[in-house]
Amino acid sequence: MTLRRIELAILLALCAALLVASPARAARELLQLFITQPYLELHTGPGRGYPVTQVVARGESVDVLFRRTDWYKVRTERGAEGWAAARELAKTSLADGSPFTINVGDRAGFAAHRWEGGVFTGAYAGATLVAAYGALSITNNLKLEVGASQYTGNVSDGYLLDIGLAHVFVPEWRFSPLVDLGTGWVHVEPKATLAKPVDRNDQVGYVGVGGRLYLTRRFFLRSEFRKYVVFTKTNANEVNEEWRLGFAFFY
Amino acid sequence: METRIRLLLLGTALAACSGCASMHWPWHHHKASQPVVSSADDNAPPPTVIEPQVERRKVKVPHIRAKDLEVGAYYGEISIQDFGAQPVAGLRLDYHVTEDLFFEGSYGRAKGGLTSFEELSGRARLLSDAERRFTYYNLSLGYNFLPGEVFVGRNLAMTSALYMIGGIGNVKFGGQQNFAVNFGAGFRVLPTDWLALHIDVQDLVFKSNDIGVNQLKNNLQATFGATVFF
Repeated sequence: MTLRRIELAILLALCAALLVASPARAARELLQLFITQPYLELHTGPGRGYPVTQVVARGESVDVLFRRTDWYKVRTERGAEGWAAARELAKTSLADGSPFTINVGDRAGFAAHRWEGGVFTGAYAGATLVAAYGALSITNNLKLEVGASQYTGNVSDGYLLDIGLAHVFVPEWRFSPLVDLGTGWVHVEPKATLAKPVDRNDQVGYVGVGGRLYLTRRFFLRSEFRKYVVFTKTNANEVNEEWRLGFAFFY
Repeated sequence: METRIRLLLLGTALAACSGCASMHWPWHHHKASQPVVSSADDNAPPPTVIEPQVERRKVKVPHIRAKDLEVGAYYGEISIQDFGAQPVAGLRLDYHVTEDLFFEGSYGRAKGGLTSFEELSGRARLLSDAERRFTYYNLSLGYNFLPGEVFVGRNLAMTSALYMIGGIGNVKFGGQQNFAVNFGAGFRVLPTDWLALHIDVQDLVFKSNDIGVNQLKNNLQATFGATVFF
């Protein structure tokens, strides 16, 4: 494919995205929240530094339009729009008087969440590694993980796809150790210069040990050491070691 | 006399009977607790204390839409070291985790030009056409270090942010895969809540020996982009 064609494809994709995201949509049911504190401050933008241009008094209500990170775009009864911080909105109540609860990401969320994802760098069999993963929590301790990695080395380059289970020992601790076990596929592109290199696809199995360290909000550090067994088509299986370190977030 | 005695006995028996009837014998107890109703009201419900028929209003909490994801495309110029400045186009996906931090994945393509050596020597070529394809992806972490607002005239204010970004990735060039590090800065402005315009400058750094010498390659790119939040 030529660059021009790709550019055209990108342009078309962008146009499609613009159409999809256009605000002209059918009216949605919006969440109505009642102010129970003396007042609710509305900022001009979704950030702590944006100026407060309006306040909503106790007893009045706001409609929640959408959320961006920890900020909610709301509309007052008078039709004015502004951004309210999640921690402020958490002090409001629903129409039935029950408190409105939000998850803004904290240690409790670190211990119990549904999704997580992150990126890593490290080394696989001596080659530089770039990896990304996503995980679905089955329980707070047990996670189903899917990962993709690429490594570039002096002898060979390659890709890895893996799927496995991770067990987190004490998820409520700031540092929680984990072990994992899984399988996957590796695609190896040898860099041999003398003989014509042949690409290989092999199945792999891995076992790993690592830990997670809660940083702040939805962020945590994750590090791991894994041992891979590559089920090659030759007589002997190959054993490769990998370490990885990266940032991850949960949701 | 006989009549008097009869009357006395009869009176005693009657008194005994009425006394027995007024007593609560165990076998009478069940019956006695039954409400006494006339036969005409047999089908009517027994009178009970009126319970308030007030049900708590059930509030269905509508789902709040999150607009943390940003997807779009960019176009600009990349200076591929030794191979000239060339147009570059790419796609990007951002996930805003907090108001300060975001993850970004990007994928871009360009095509390397001719080196000075190739230009001067005439027909000598260091790389084939396919090898001149420069493709890369980056996985980065960004930090909105100068958020603010941009004013256009008197009536239009747009939220904006100057951000720093850095990460890791891979560059394929000269028929080789290379681990790459990227870092740079960008400016994002949002004319509406769902549309963002970007200006980015980034350096893609990797080690390569594509021209026979192992060296660190710096590839600076400057791009314009547009993204939508959803």
